[in-house]
Amino acid sequence: MILSKSSHLPNPAPLGVPASPPARRQRRKLPRNASLLVGIVLTTIFLAVALVSFFYLPSNPNIPVIRNRLLPAGTAGHWLGTDVLGRDIVAQLMVGARTSILVGAGGATLSLILGLIAGLAAASSGKIADEAISRGADILLSIPGMVTALVLAATMGSGALTTILALTAFFTPSFTRVVRSAAIGVLNEDFITAARLYGRGKIFVLIRHVLPNIAGVMIVQFTLYFAAGILTEAGLSYLGVGVHRPSISWGLMLNEAQQQVGISSPLAIWPGLAIVLMVLGLNLLGDGLRDVLDPKLARRAS
Amino acid sequence: MAIYILRKLAFFLGALFIASVAIFLLIRGAGGNVAAVVLGKGATPEAINALAHTYGLDRPMAVQYFDWIGNMLSGDLGRSFRTNESVADLVTARLSVSIPLAFSGLVLGLLIAIPVGTYAARNVGTPSGALLALVSQIGVAVPVFWAGILLSLLFGVRLGWLPTGGWTDWSVSPWGAIRSLVLPVLSLGLIMAAVLIRYVRSAVLDVMNQDYLRTARAVGMTRTEALLKVGLRNAALPLVTIVGLQIAELIGGTVIIETVFSLPGLSRMMLANVAAREVIVVQSTVMLIVVFVISINLIVDLLYGLLDPRVRATR
Repeated sequence: MILSKSSHLPNPAPLGVPASPPARRQRRKLPRNASLLVGIVLTTIFLAVALVSFFYLPSNPNIPVIRNRLLPAGTAGHWLGTDVLGRDIVAQLMVGARTSILVGAGGATLSLILGLIAGLAAASSGKIADEAISRGADILLSIPGMVTALVLAATMGSGALTTILALTAFFTPSFTRVVRSAAIGVLNEDFITAARLYGRGKIFVLIRHVLPNIAGVMIVQFTLYFAAGILTEAGLSYLGVGVHRPSISWGLMLNEAQQQVGISSPLAIWPGLAIVLMVLGLNLLGDGLRDVLDPKLARRAS
Repeated sequence: MAIYILRKLAFFLGALFIASVAIFLLIRGAGGNVAAVVLGKGATPEAINALAHTYGLDRPMAVQYFDWIGNMLSGDLGRSFRTNESVADLVTARLSVSIPLAFSGLVLGLLIAIPVGTYAARNVGTPSGALLALVSQIGVAVPVFWAGILLSLLFGVRLGWLPTGGWTDWSVSPWGAIRSLVLPVLSLGLIMAAVLIRYVRSAVLDVMNQDYLRTARAVGMTRTEALLKVGLRNAALPLVTIVGLQIAELIGGTVIIETVFSLPGLSRMMLANVAAREVIVVQSTVMLIVVFVISINLIVDLLYGLLDPRVRATR
């Protein structure tokens, strides 16, 4: 349904450029829909794998079976082989998908909620509140996310929850800025004035009128931060300040592969590939959705 | 311009103040009793109190905060609980690794991203433009540490051209130091480039559609001439901002890359101290990094005002 909707949108050629001939327009549109399609397919696969991992795993990814250590890919029962302790790689990758999605989506969701509250407050309040929230977001943005994550790991101990909180601290300021500027755009529209003149309260207007109108932008941002969250989580777990066993993360698997068997092992390939495909899928999905849901932004970005 | 600079300076100082309070509260507040954390689970209450007293940790928080800031301003960043080394010494010893790494990574990223992004913008809709967009899309999805692993697999293990990790100090052999930095810089630079290409591309596209470029073409410049003489300066504006924003990203990447290649840089020191719960060391190092990032942002803002008269006038 989303796909068919995009065909009704106006051609997003930038202003000031002569309209492209139809043939060229057709050719330019094709890869865009393709990015949405590939994005949906990749994301669905990983979501499905994560879901399946709750009900079925080829074998326990945390119990060492020494006689099975370092089996090559293609071994019966262990498609991608086993690691240095004989644990199945496929099972570990499946649980890793679960961790990535949980942490990435968790961080993106929390920061979306906080960013919505702060951004809407900034957009609809007076100049002082707006200035305070915006400058506060600027300051928080200048603290590197990796540093925040390290500080949290130092004080709270590392783990999935700490990683989610670090992502939230990292993403909320950018969400706030996006929500604020999108909401200000909507608040300047005539229908908002009409609603206010009709006697609708500020909160009502924000929820009933502003929220639906910025939902598209929010969904796109959510997808992109979901992807960024997965990358960050992988990096933190690789560094040893993210999730730990018995939880499994693709970043953790890469760390173990490098420490225990060396980088020339195929064990250093599979988790990396999983990260790239999952993040690529979400980014393509975000870009594709942007073309569908947010044509104004797509025009600027393309 | 003077008002613009003053405003930016005020923001700079405000940001430093708020960031320092945030770091202090986060580390001291969320961390609980610092002395107990440092000494670990088996410590007796007497030992905890003694350590707290030695380091002045039993004083009110506000006093400790101002003490910390005052000491930092006078160049005293505190000492490690365990080894009693001064944080300033710990940090300066590692900058000779971290700064060349981060700086060369950024420069390499820009050197790749500016020509490639410009080419991509000029070839929108063609197969080569689409291919570049795809490549940078994939590049953005590659975690920087995996890029490092793959590169050292290729150049270190398979071809044997460069070390896969470890560090030869500048004082031992400058050539050895450069050799140990090549792969880390390449990993960092390629990943930075993938991110930057997309910004360069959209900045150049934006400029290409402006009236002044059409005017430049109308007075007889070729497309390339117009882009280089008129477009570049205008496209540089958003780029300066992006580079400023990417500094935080760059530091994150440097932290990870130092681990991939076992480089004894600032971030490896941070990680070790996080693991050892060296609260004071972490607190002061984090503050130093934040000061660095906020200073870069100030420079970017000032540069922006210098490059674009409109910014000075409106803000």
